[in-house]
Formats: sequence, structure tokens, C-alpha cells
Amino acid sequence: MGPLMLSVDAVTFLEEEGFPVLRSLLAASEDEAAVKAAEIGFPVTLKLSSPDVVHKTEAGGIRVSLRDAAEVRQAFTEMVSAFTSGNPGKRLDGVMVQEQGWGAEVIVGMLTDPQFGPVLMCGLGGVFVEVMKDVSFRLVPIERRDARDMLEELKGYEVLVNPRSGSTDIAAVEDFLLRVSTFLEDHPEVQEMDLNPVFVSSRGVRICDARIKTG
Amino acid sequence: MKEKLARLFSPGSVAVVGASNSFDKLGYHVMKSLVGNYRGRIFPVNPKGEKVWGLLSYPSLEAIPGDVDLAVVAVPAGMVGETLHACGRKGTSGVVLITAGFKEIEDPVGASLEAEIGGVAGQYGLPIIGPNTFGFVNLSCDVNASFTSEFSRIQKGGVALVSQSGGICHLCGFLAIEQRVAMSKFMSLGNRCNVDFPELLEYLVEEDDSTKVIALYIEGLDEPRRLLDVAKSLKGRKPIIALKAGKSEKGDSASRFHTGSLAGNQAIWRGALRQAGILEVATAEELLDTAKAIDSCPLPPGARVAVLSGQAGPGMIASDALEPHGLSLSRFSEETQRRINDLLPPIAIRTNPVDMGPAWYNPGNIIEILRAVLEDEGTDGVIFLAMYASANLKLAEGMVEYMKAVDPFRKPVIACFTAPPGIWDGPIDALDRKKGIAILPTPERAAQAMANLWKVSALMNAEGVGTWDR
Repeated sequence: MGPLMLSVDAVTFLEEEGFPVLRSLLAASEDEAAVKAAEIGFPVTLKLSSPDVVHKTEAGGIRVSLRDAAEVRQAFTEMVSAFTSGNPGKRLDGVMVQEQGWGAEVIVGMLTDPQFGPVLMCGLGGVFVEVMKDVSFRLVPIERRDARDMLEELKGYEVLVNPRSGSTDIAAVEDFLLRVSTFLEDHPEVQEMDLNPVFVSSRGVRICDARIKTG
Repeated sequence: MKEKLARLFSPGSVAVVGASNSFDKLGYHVMKSLVGNYRGRIFPVNPKGEKVWGLLSYPSLEAIPGDVDLAVVAVPAGMVGETLHACGRKGTSGVVLITAGFKEIEDPVGASLEAEIGGVAGQYGLPIIGPNTFGFVNLSCDVNASFTSEFSRIQKGGVALVSQSGGICHLCGFLAIEQRVAMSKFMSLGNRCNVDFPELLEYLVEEDDSTKVIALYIEGLDEPRRLLDVAKSLKGRKPIIALKAGKSEKGDSASRFHTGSLAGNQAIWRGALRQAGILEVATAEELLDTAKAIDSCPLPPGARVAVLSGQAGPGMIASDALEPHGLSLSRFSEETQRRINDLLPPIAIRTNPVDMGPAWYNPGNIIEILRAVLEDEGTDGVIFLAMYASANLKLAEGMVEYMKAVDPFRKPVIACFTAPPGIWDGPIDALDRKKGIAILPTPERAAQAMANLWKVSALMNAEGVGTWDR
């Protein structure tokens, strides 16, 4: 494991560790992107993969709900040319072709606090985390009751259980938090981690994107 | 450690090293706290050999003829090391080290002195409360080993306050006297040489029968997990509540991770306290109110509350305060409503919140309404509000009389009796903290304390936090 793992590398690593992830394949060309998309199954998401871009959404580096090969090819060309002209000198690894996420977006993260040591965080994604800072914390390791409390404490908890937003398999999210806690116990070298977003729905939990810092 | 702490807090004899007749010395004030209050033997230690506070003094610890269980030390910082050696050689069970001037000061001499005394304490296995503390008070057995004698006026009860600040003890101690919060132990840990929160939690939960609820004031700890792990291992034994100072919410803005940038110290503390089963409160007032309610009342089985008020307005603001705290107004059963209707004429609102005004001149009916509501399975606790008016002068006294024959309530009753100073003082004193009743100053504070009783109950029974934060 390197000191900082981003997107595809981090997601692949987590998949190898047994976490449920959205299938992701890196493509270097338009043709390759179309082939990989067909392999994954439509619809797909395309994401720029650059070590120099932190916030892909702000950089226009994400295109979602691409329904066929033609849409994938077009999106690939537009994204890459916009990136190359708008970010001279910045590196581009390629474009990640990813299975379309479904459900509510959640962030699950970890930090190493100087006093508390490893701390687990969870929150609802998007505006909830960015604007309202609606997140909850527990010290690693957690028990099932802590996992439940972490979710119930969120002001946006109703979003997860409201059938209108597609009710979530809450037990599966609790299981996921417990697995993350166990993973962190097994990997004390992990210093910081964002699993963001993680898609949660009635069908379970899937990690969409991740970054991991080790030390 | 626990056995030594037990003797430290309940000593058969106390030596005061640095005892003095001079008002300007802390050793004077420690003597003032002990003399005439403490029932064991007091040995003032003073090199001049004169009588101190009328008691024969000794030139050194060695010169004292009998055992010394506790040494209260108030000598200059430079003399502390030698004094601790003397305590160790004497076989003292523990030390209260009032002297300041250790790691809390800017001068690096303080830190090196602190390391030195830590070493000496370790050599003899000597528990030290402090340094840099006002001391402790054990109200259950009349030991005031502090430099503030007035703390002896706090009533005896089940609240143990363990504080990281002497100032907060002075704030809470005097408020406790005024608001009839009854305590078992009361202490500031100062610089926490070798007696820290975890050691005290173990002692107070496992050894100290007089303590029913533990209230903590925390500023900041280098190793918070030690405290949290001990609390977690003791979860469900005795309620623990905490006021954590330092509300900075800022995360690490330099972090390239969302998690790092969102993780403020206070937010982590909040989660960690809950994880350990400790109820966090926001103010010193809430800390005392909650501790008093836990000490005085049974824990409620749920969150459904009845409000019984002598006047409609206070009942309304109490009702308004329920929901933001996660509580709800209970709905009476037909049987309960029938009993209330038999006791109250239909000239006021008889559903929850009940306006008991029409029964004001019949304290017996008031208490029968209270009993009817408490016996209702749909009600988990009662907020009872009585505002004085000239015409209901005899209400409080009448309630005291009637309560004599009433069995203790099995659900919490949090009450406000508001009257001009001097008018209902006797009855309030007679009703407060008896038979499941706790009296607090305002309807809003009553609602908050009721909510905290329920939250403590949920934390202790591992029922989860539910919707507290929404």
C-alpha cells in the first residue's frame, strides 16, 4: 500500500479486502471506455482520474447516467479535451468507467486524532455533509449499537428511512460500519480514509469512491 | 489504589502539613475546614511547634505519635518533594496536594518539580489528589479536606462531582447549597499527578456506596480513551454525566480528507462520551439539575410526560419544552381521566397539561391527581408546577402533611415551587429530594432534567440514542 491511494486504486484495494464496491475499470481511450462500459453494463458513470484533482465534481470531471456506447464515447472525448485545455500541466491517468450508483449517498470516513487515536465518522453525502456538517463520530472499534446510534444521530436520518427516497437497508449500513471498524483494527497503518460517496439503498451498500492515506 | 482511595476519602486521622494560624496561608483555611467538623484526629504540622487552631502541632510528620491516613499538604512547591518522602515513610494512605506551582505554570521549573513528585509518589505507591487543587470534601462522613470550609454546608446525598477545575467546584458547590443538590464527594483533581478520572470512576462506582450519580467536569485529557474505556466497562452500574468545556468545532482545515476537515474535537468528544455510556450536558446548571434529579428520582421507563400545573401558563411553557428535548405529552387512560375529573371541577382544562387551579385549596386532591397520573401506564414521569399566590399560602405545607402517608413514587416527579424568599422555604425543603420528587427552579429546567433522566435510563439500558438530536 502506498502512502496515498486515490479513486481506482483505493476502490480496487477495498474490493480485494472484501468490501462491496461499484465495479470500476480504467480506460485510456474512447474505444477502451466503450468496451469497458459494455462489460460493466449500462448505465455507467465516467470519472476523470487525475492525481492532481481533488474535487472531481467541481472540476467537471464526472458524467453520470450514460446509457450506451455512443454516450460513453462522446462523454469521454468532451471530458478529456476540457481537462487538457483547462488544466495545462496537470496529469491525467485516464477515465474511470464505473457501474452506476443507486440510492442515497453516504460518507464513511476515518481519521487519526492525536488524543483519541482512530475515529470513525459517518454522515449523509452531498449537501448534508458539505453544508450542514451532519456527521457523527465514534472511536474505533465500534459495536453494533454504536453503528445504529451513528446513523440515528444524523439529522438527516429520515432521508435514509423515508420510503419516498427509496428506503435503505439500515441493517446493511450497520454491517458496513462494523466491517470498516474491523478493517481499521486489522490495518493500523491506515491514517486517514474517506469512503465518499458510498451508495446505500434497499439493495445494500456499495463504495463508489475512496481515498486512503497510510503511514 | 481503590483501597487506598477509600482510606484517603474516609480517613481516621488527618495531618495538615503547613497548618497555620495566619489567615494569609492556605494551611489556615484547611484547618478551618477540618476543626469542629471532622470527627477523627487532626494533626497540624508546623515547624514552629505552636498551637494551631487550638490544637497541639508537630514539627514534622515523623513526630506524630499515631497513624496518619491522610496528609493535606499546603507548603511551598520547593518543599513538596521532601514532604512526600515523609508521607511515604509514615505509611500515609494518601495525600491532598494543595500547593500550586507545578506543570500548570509557564516556568519550566514547575514541570520538573511535577516530574519529581510523580517519581516520589510512585516510589511509595502514594495516591495524590492534585497538585494545584482546593482539595476534596467527603460529605458522607464529614471530611472537608479543602481550603473552603463553607463546602461543609452542602447537604449529604448521592451526587459525586469530580472536576478538572477548582473554580467549577466553587461555582457548583455554592449553587448546590442554594438549590439543595445533595452530595457524597466533591473534588478538583488539579494536575492529576496519579489520581485521574479513571481511578475515581472505578472507586466511586465499585467502592463508594454513598455515591448514586457521578458528575464530571472535563476540560481536556491527553489520553481520553483511558477514561472512556473505564466508563464503558462500568456501563449500566451508576449513571455518569459530563460537562465538557472547550467548544471549538473546527476540524483540520488543511486536511485533504473530508473526514479530517469535519472532525472537530468537540464532535469527537460527543460521540466518544455516548459510546462510553456517559450523558453529556451543555452547562454547569444542567450538570447540577441532572445530577440532582438522578439522585432524587427513579429513572423513567419512557419519554411520555404529564404536566400538572396550578396555573395554565407555566404548564404551557413546560409542555413546549418537552418536544425539543425528545419528550412528549402523555395521553391519559379513561380510568385516569375519570379519577382526575372526580377530583377537579370542570372549570379548567383537565386533560394533559392539567390545570389544577380549581383544586388549589385542597392539597389532598392535588396529590391524589398526582398519584392517579403516576399510576397511569401511559405516563413515564410528571412535571409538577406550583406558583405561590397569597390565597394558596397553605398549599405547600398541606402537601407536606399529606405526603407523609404517601408511599415513594416509582416514577420521577420534577417540581417547581416558586414563591417569594422565606414563604415556602420550610415546605420546599421538606418535599425536595423525598419520595421521588426533585424541585428545580423553572419549568424549562424541569423539562430538561426530565429528558436527561430518560436519556440516562436509555444509555444505561443500552437502548440507543434514538431521536435525541433531531
